[in-house]
Amino acid sequence: MAVIADTAGQEVMVRPWLGPFLRREALTGYALLSPAVFLLAVLLAYPFVLAVYISLTDRVLGEPGTFVWIRNFLKLFQDPLFRQTVWNSFVYTVTTVFLKLTLGLTLALLLNQEFPLRNVVRGALLLPWVVPTSLSVLTWLWMFDSLFSVVNYILLGLGLISKKIPWLGSPFWAMVSVVIVNTWRGLPFFAVSLLAGLMTIPRELYEAAESDGAKSLACFWFITLPLLRPVIAVVVLFSTIWTFADFQIVYILTHGGPINATQIFATMAYDVALVAGRIGEGSAISLFLFPALLVVIIGLLHYLRRE
Amino acid sequence: MKQEKSAMQRPTVSRAISRRKFLGVTAGATSALSFGTFIRSGLGAAKINILTWSNTLKAMDDVLREQAAAYTKAKGVEISLEFINQQDLPAKTAAIVETGAGPDVINLWANGAHLFAKALMDVDDVANDLGKRLKGWTNIAQDIGMVEKRWKAVPWGIIPIALTYRDDWLKEVGYSTFPDTWDELLVASKKLKEKGHPVGFSLGRAIGDANQFHYPLLWAFGGKEVEKDGKTVAINSPATAKAVDYRRQLFQGGETEDVFAWDDAANNRAFLAGAVSITVNAASIYWAARKDAPHLREVTNHALFPKGAAGRFGYSSPILLGIFKFSKFQKEAKAFVKWLMEPKQYSAWIGFGEGMMAGLLNYYEDDPVWKKDPKLETIRQIPKYVRMPGYPGPPSRQAQEALVKFVIVNMFARACKGMATAETIKVAEDDLKTLYAKT
Repeated sequence: MAVIADTAGQEVMVRPWLGPFLRREALTGYALLSPAVFLLAVLLAYPFVLAVYISLTDRVLGEPGTFVWIRNFLKLFQDPLFRQTVWNSFVYTVTTVFLKLTLGLTLALLLNQEFPLRNVVRGALLLPWVVPTSLSVLTWLWMFDSLFSVVNYILLGLGLISKKIPWLGSPFWAMVSVVIVNTWRGLPFFAVSLLAGLMTIPRELYEAAESDGAKSLACFWFITLPLLRPVIAVVVLFSTIWTFADFQIVYILTHGGPINATQIFATMAYDVALVAGRIGEGSAISLFLFPALLVVIIGLLHYLRRE
Repeated sequence: MKQEKSAMQRPTVSRAISRRKFLGVTAGATSALSFGTFIRSGLGAAKINILTWSNTLKAMDDVLREQAAAYTKAKGVEISLEFINQQDLPAKTAAIVETGAGPDVINLWANGAHLFAKALMDVDDVANDLGKRLKGWTNIAQDIGMVEKRWKAVPWGIIPIALTYRDDWLKEVGYSTFPDTWDELLVASKKLKEKGHPVGFSLGRAIGDANQFHYPLLWAFGGKEVEKDGKTVAINSPATAKAVDYRRQLFQGGETEDVFAWDDAANNRAFLAGAVSITVNAASIYWAARKDAPHLREVTNHALFPKGAAGRFGYSSPILLGIFKFSKFQKEAKAFVKWLMEPKQYSAWIGFGEGMMAGLLNYYEDDPVWKKDPKLETIRQIPKYVRMPGYPGPPSRQAQEALVKFVIVNMFARACKGMATAETIKVAEDDLKTLYAKT
């Protein structure tokens, strides 16, 4: 029997032919990982580093720029349009994540009950998430159209409103519209993930609580929520990241308007970098997401690790 | 049967090896083939790739395809045309310029030649030759095509933007001809709104329509973004204040409130649905009415922009054809572009446009397309009044940026939403100062 050291540095007894094989397996492991690492490096790391580099220059399209260090970032702080964008992004993300969480949790709780055609409903629930965003948002664009809005038509017909709502024409309602569409699109993700979390909670806990005389609200507050915390944290984390960086919904629905009421980081970066040609500034705008998201991620992971 | 049996008896080890060999051979073959195409693309006959916008009028694109095919037959140069959505062109052009690879010929819009001057090759020979033979270029053509006294792109045409109106409804309120001054337009709009036929000029993110209305409005009152030097921001002036006050009155007295949500297609729909009486557009409404609402076509007409204290102005969308420096077939590309601009090809092309496209060479002002329909006569006149953003300064990159950021449109939009005139002009002034402070 040969003696080799295992990963913890302990001496273990292994069969003679296993020793060299184990050592070689590590190399094989790295070799198998290398395509993935390579792809990550090329498709993620390189563009990211390049974006950071460009944001430190005053590059415009087609011309080499000069280094201006953090001047782009400082200028952005002074730009009222950018401040508006930050505020819009913040409002958009917080509102939609909150709505998706509460409505998703409600949906998950409902879907955890027994009712006929439950599996069909669970499957259909995924549709908003699965349908390509561009297509679904185009449909919403038609539904919110200033002249032919189906939503206005129905609301007026039911007598719930007396004048048609300017869904995409008023700064307030435009934000409401993008929040509605984002919530609609993101609900399945929350609902399905939370449902999965709910299904792992053992029934015995509820039975024990009920036998002790706890009502359903107490059950929810003291059993369901604490046990769902890891799932909620992960789902909120992912959703915040995705919503902060969201582009298609705002771009197709309002394109940042009216009067920049729904301009968010991604749409502003697109306008500045690709349409106006100032890629130095555009990169700076899109990089602003990074520290904000880093804070969110660290916060949530810290919260998770407390479990 | 016997073969199957022996196959079954063959040890599995050999099958495993052959699978690996199979993968290896396939991988090798694929890489060899891709290498082969890579080599092949560098040699061979001339091939010109052209990236252009997908025309609202499909017939014009069909004509282009036919002409390209005819050219290939005659000269042996392969032409490949790619049509993409106009909205996607800026991003696509940006990517091409950044990576230094892509089509040989590109369709540029408005100030595009100025924006991408460094990536485009000089086309002085083509432009000068065309100008000499076809009665010279218009002023606008020179503004957009020449950068620092060199032709960087060949002005391909201009989509004249006019005021499209319902002359039956105007007659109802007592106007047999379209109001000729902005003040008269305000009076007419109020009367029209009272009758339930408001006017509509987009105040939303319509990069075409919104800008095309508000820049001429600003200029007609004597307002301007910058001085003639192209650097000093001059938006904060009594003339601008008058324009802003006028726009607010027009909105409150004569316009539909939907305009804040209008993108470029919305006013077409509104007009064809009979929801507005006057809007700003190219001849596309008139053209679409032929299919969708023929009775509307009878009562639709076009008018020049009204006259203001500083004169009559317009802003239309000029398009150009530029050739990238990285193109491997520059000579052939130039030859093809020149051929496209020749009367035989160009006249056929704008003929199918039926007023959507006007030529920027003086020769094409008398093109037969304008005689097809008397209602097109007004459209023919429009290019004379067109100025580019940045007027009276040159059409610079900053002016283009101000346009895509809707600085001027938002100034008017805020006023219509209730902001005080002085305040909204100040916001626009700050925006412009930030913009023009950059080099």
